Amino acid sequence: MESIYEYAWLIPVLPLAGAMILGLGLVSYNKAMNALRKPSAVFIVSLLGAAMVLSFAILWSQVQGHPPYTRLIDWAAAGDFHLTMGYTVDRLTAMMLVIVTTVAFFVMVYTDGYMAHDPGYVRFYAYLSLFSSSMLGLVVSPNLVQVYVFWELVGMCSYLLIGFWYDRKPAADACQKAFVTNRVGDFGLLLGMLGLFWATGSFDFDVMGLRLEDLVETGALSGAVAAFLAVLVFMGPVAKSAQVPLHVWLPDAMEGPTPISALIHAATMVAAGVFLIARMYPVFENIPVAMDTIAWTGAVTAFVGASIAITQNDIKKGLAYSTMSQLGYMVMAMGIGAYSAGMFHLMTHAYFKAMLFLGSGSVIHGMEAVVGHDPALAQDMRLMGGLRKYMPITALTFLIGTLAISGIPPFAGFWSKDEIIGAAYEASPFLWAIGWLTAGITAFYMFRMYFSTFEGGFRGNDEGIKRQLKVAKLQQMGLSMGPGAMNPQELAIESEVHDDHDGHGDHHHSDSPHESPITMTLPLMALAIPSILIGLLGTPFANYFEAFIHPPGEVIEGIPSEVDWSEFLAMAGSSIGISLIGITLASLMYLTGKINPAKIAKQIEPLYKLSLNKWYFDEVYEVLFVQGSRRLARQVLEVDVRIVDGLVNLAGFVTLVTGEGLKYLENGRVQFYALIVFGAVLGLVLVSGVT
Amino acid sequence: MNTVDFPWLTTTILFPVVAALLIPFIPDKDGKTVRWYALIVGLIDFAILVYAFTNFYDFSAPGLQLVESYSWVPSLDLKWSVGADGLSMPLILLTGFITTLAILASWPVTLKPKLFYFLMLAMYGGQIGVFAVQDMLLFFLMWELELIPVYLLLSIWGGKKRLYAATKFILYTAGGSLFILVAALAMAFYGDTVTFDMRSLMDKDYPVNLQLLLYGAFLIAYAVKLPIFPLHTWLPDAHGEATAPVHMLLAGILLKMGGYALIRMNVEMLPDAHVYFAPALVILGIVNIIYAALTSFAQRNLKRKIAYSSISHMGFVLIGIASFTDLGLSGAVLQMVSHGLIGASLFFLVGATYDRTHTLILDEMGGVGKKMPKIFAMFTACSLASLALPGMSGFVAELMVFVGFATSDAYGLVFKTIVVLLAAVGVILTPIYLLSMLREIFYGPENKELVEHEVLIDAEPREVFIIACLLIPIIGIGFYPKLLTQIYDVKTLAITEKLENSLTTLAEQEMRSKPLAQEPLQAPVIN
Repeated sequence: MESIYEYAWLIPVLPLAGAMILGLGLVSYNKAMNALRKPSAVFIVSLLGAAMVLSFAILWSQVQGHPPYTRLIDWAAAGDFHLTMGYTVDRLTAMMLVIVTTVAFFVMVYTDGYMAHDPGYVRFYAYLSLFSSSMLGLVVSPNLVQVYVFWELVGMCSYLLIGFWYDRKPAADACQKAFVTNRVGDFGLLLGMLGLFWATGSFDFDVMGLRLEDLVETGALSGAVAAFLAVLVFMGPVAKSAQVPLHVWLPDAMEGPTPISALIHAATMVAAGVFLIARMYPVFENIPVAMDTIAWTGAVTAFVGASIAITQNDIKKGLAYSTMSQLGYMVMAMGIGAYSAGMFHLMTHAYFKAMLFLGSGSVIHGMEAVVGHDPALAQDMRLMGGLRKYMPITALTFLIGTLAISGIPPFAGFWSKDEIIGAAYEASPFLWAIGWLTAGITAFYMFRMYFSTFEGGFRGNDEGIKRQLKVAKLQQMGLSMGPGAMNPQELAIESEVHDDHDGHGDHHHSDSPHESPITMTLPLMALAIPSILIGLLGTPFANYFEAFIHPPGEVIEGIPSEVDWSEFLAMAGSSIGISLIGITLASLMYLTGKINPAKIAKQIEPLYKLSLNKWYFDEVYEVLFVQGSRRLARQVLEVDVRIVDGLVNLAGFVTLVTGEGLKYLENGRVQFYALIVFGAVLGLVLVSGVT
Repeated sequence: MNTVDFPWLTTTILFPVVAALLIPFIPDKDGKTVRWYALIVGLIDFAILVYAFTNFYDFSAPGLQLVESYSWVPSLDLKWSVGADGLSMPLILLTGFITTLAILASWPVTLKPKLFYFLMLAMYGGQIGVFAVQDMLLFFLMWELELIPVYLLLSIWGGKKRLYAATKFILYTAGGSLFILVAALAMAFYGDTVTFDMRSLMDKDYPVNLQLLLYGAFLIAYAVKLPIFPLHTWLPDAHGEATAPVHMLLAGILLKMGGYALIRMNVEMLPDAHVYFAPALVILGIVNIIYAALTSFAQRNLKRKIAYSSISHMGFVLIGIASFTDLGLSGAVLQMVSHGLIGASLFFLVGATYDRTHTLILDEMGGVGKKMPKIFAMFTACSLASLALPGMSGFVAELMVFVGFATSDAYGLVFKTIVVLLAAVGVILTPIYLLSMLREIFYGPENKELVEHEVLIDAEPREVFIIACLLIPIIGIGFYPKLLTQIYDVKTLAITEKLENSLTTLAEQEMRSKPLAQEPLQAPVIN
């Protein structure tokens, strides 16, 4: 058994090797490499498959009770400072390894179908493999610095993948936004890391936690400073896991290809923030202020995300806000000390949300056959409807995912979410109320999404809606170009809309969408299994999950299975109840049409507008940070060119060549002064050498 | 002949210069022979350097090695003396590496090729000379000598405003170097013996007031070169006009001379004054980082944008130098080497892009990623390296400076916190300007005008090769920094030890706590 631990480093290295081989091939033999589509895909998928098998072996060994295993090498050193890197395998790592490799494996299989017609097929596999490698490196990290290293690397992969279709302007903007927003979080993480190292002299999670506790207890370090450092570290997860106020990048990140949204922006990378909180738990748990900050950030995020998801019409954007909301649940769980519940939800969510995203990709793939390759049309739910007839497998798996996320037993999401809401009740009634209400909203918006996509009649051939969407999209682009460009822009709208009418034949393959190929539906079906069953690992009757994953300091004997039936029934009953209310409302509005959603929207217009415009976060940030920083930068440059340059020139040299300084500068005679100095010294040396 | 006593360093300095003198006699009509000649000379010289350092240099010894000393002017105690230690050795290797690649990068130069390669080879020797010489007067001469080729390279092969830029460059640098001369003379004539030998000068015991004056003089000279705000304005002009190979030398090596000399003279020779000046250096470092990052963000000219980014990165060198820790100083040296590689690669790519688009204005570019995917990929990789992505050398250097400064005992907690906080703002600003640069060049729909009027061919193998050569050490160091740090570690340790001595002696002398920290706050200790 020991030998699999000695070779555990292969898990991140295998996909890295694959990415490097493909990358080198692409740079040196671009054409030949791009022709080798299938071999490249099979190569990458099998490397990841090998990593997955190894991960399962490690998980099995951990379940058997193997002690944690760590291997380190000296990475950087100066004087008596030594920084080590390596890998550590414990239960948390083992679980994360399995989650990441399985989801990545299925996403890679799915990619073959989804990207089949894309010229960047091989490049996409190289990026996917690079990302998997970085993510796996992150989960095996033994210390905070290594986490930071891979933290940035997954961020880079996310940047490359969001901008994968780099000729699309929205993608270009989104990838930069994602990277910069994440850097804001990393700024805090870096500072917190430095501060913790200053205080504790270590980057090791457990050592930091222990020493910090000692320091605060003995009064060598004030509790406020410790709390400040912990909150700084928490800024990293805030950005990475899309928590308010740094969540703005995640919805825009949906500009990337859908497999990426499933793998990176739903299942793994965004969960890295929650993972880091789990790793840093020894530090956080002793600092109440930090824990409260974490809990409330999570709760607010859960609510804000859900409230925005209600009004989204883009299927991927809707799922993105749902992801944000679910991440909020996980973060809140960590903050209230429900460590095990938070990680449990991370696991269940990874599977069902990956499946939902892949399902949405399948829908988009089917829609593109009808409306063409325009994300504004292919992803808009107003053009969908009735797809269940055309894509039964996709519809069924999507329904399973929807039930799972809405918290309907026995699907996976019910058990994990209910455990969090139950823990929240013990921590604070306010947090419970937010969690409970959000559960209802979740059920509502997810069923709204399901009904308007898969039920009713198909609206994809409705030219009226299409035209309206196109105009809306162009208007939005026009507005972002500024009012000055309005007139030519209107012409452009007309011509583009017109063009589209002419170009019908090019876009349309058929009038009805089709079910996706087997490489796409197979992963959906495979992921449906954990989405249904995996929750049973963590039922309150026999919580195997908690026995396996629990806070580092805690000891749990046997399988926790004490159930307070009255409490369980009350909690579960109330959350199932509000979910059912949400589902009923959604079916009344979007399935049977008994209630007209537009009318309600009219009645509560300010709230509707708030949700539709995403609480105006983007608008405020645009004015405050984007334009603010641009203005500041321009002013500084102005100062540099006019004042600093001028003053130094003036002080230094214009005095040297008074009067005709400028003339000298232009005809280049002043350098003789320099040469004279040089010559004089050389002369001095030579003369004194001769004498 | 005993190979240990062979004058390796003198050979590597003089060989390119002598080879350059032979260029006029090479029969060459179209400039194709002479570029191969120059490349081979560069390669041979680099090979000699590598051979000498791997065989005759002991990485675990802090002192000068490969020392040669020949008397030149006995009355002034002027000697041709060269040597290498942990501080100069990495930079000498860097010089050989970058200059050879710069010669390979000069392939498209068609104007007066003989003169061009003559100057490049002359630069080669002069730059190694600056890092190798161990005599103050010789140092000054080398410093000045290397200005002339740069001046000519700028003023003949530069852009439209080349004369203005070249003149500004030489005025700034030569003006600054006057201070070196004055300070060197003062140091040489102070005390009983007249000497220019650096080690003898180091052993002289200068009073603190004189040290402060000398320090200030050196600082001005090196602040121009590094550059440090507000003496940096020659750099965007010079960089904005230079051709790609000259660019690579300017960013890759010439800026490093400032950092090298700052450590060699200000820190090593005048440690007491350094204790007083260090906080100022830290503040200047912060200004460099933030101010230059902002100006870079606002720049619309590609070359100037990267030029400002160089200034920003040099801020970390300053903070590292002033950190009074092994880690910080080690990080500063690493940052110099790392920026040498990254800066050279970025400037080369800017040149390669310009060769195709024939414009440097970002507004006139856009969407060229489709047409030039290889250049796009390389540009992305180098920009990511520049914004200190982990796994690349820049990250390690910045991390070392950060950790080094954060754990420094020489500063008060408040000062340290503010400095680390502000320096970390650079972490946010760098990706803003670099990624928006990438976005404006490569992303988005194709710029119709550009695509119609220019021939946008993708990178040729020579260009891929140059970038690969630069990226391999960048990634190598990023993956395993000890590759580089272990070859100079003993030297930085020795310097820090010396600094700490000065720090404690000064503190004792003044009968109060350390001069920098009103309330010296050690890292809290567990009782």
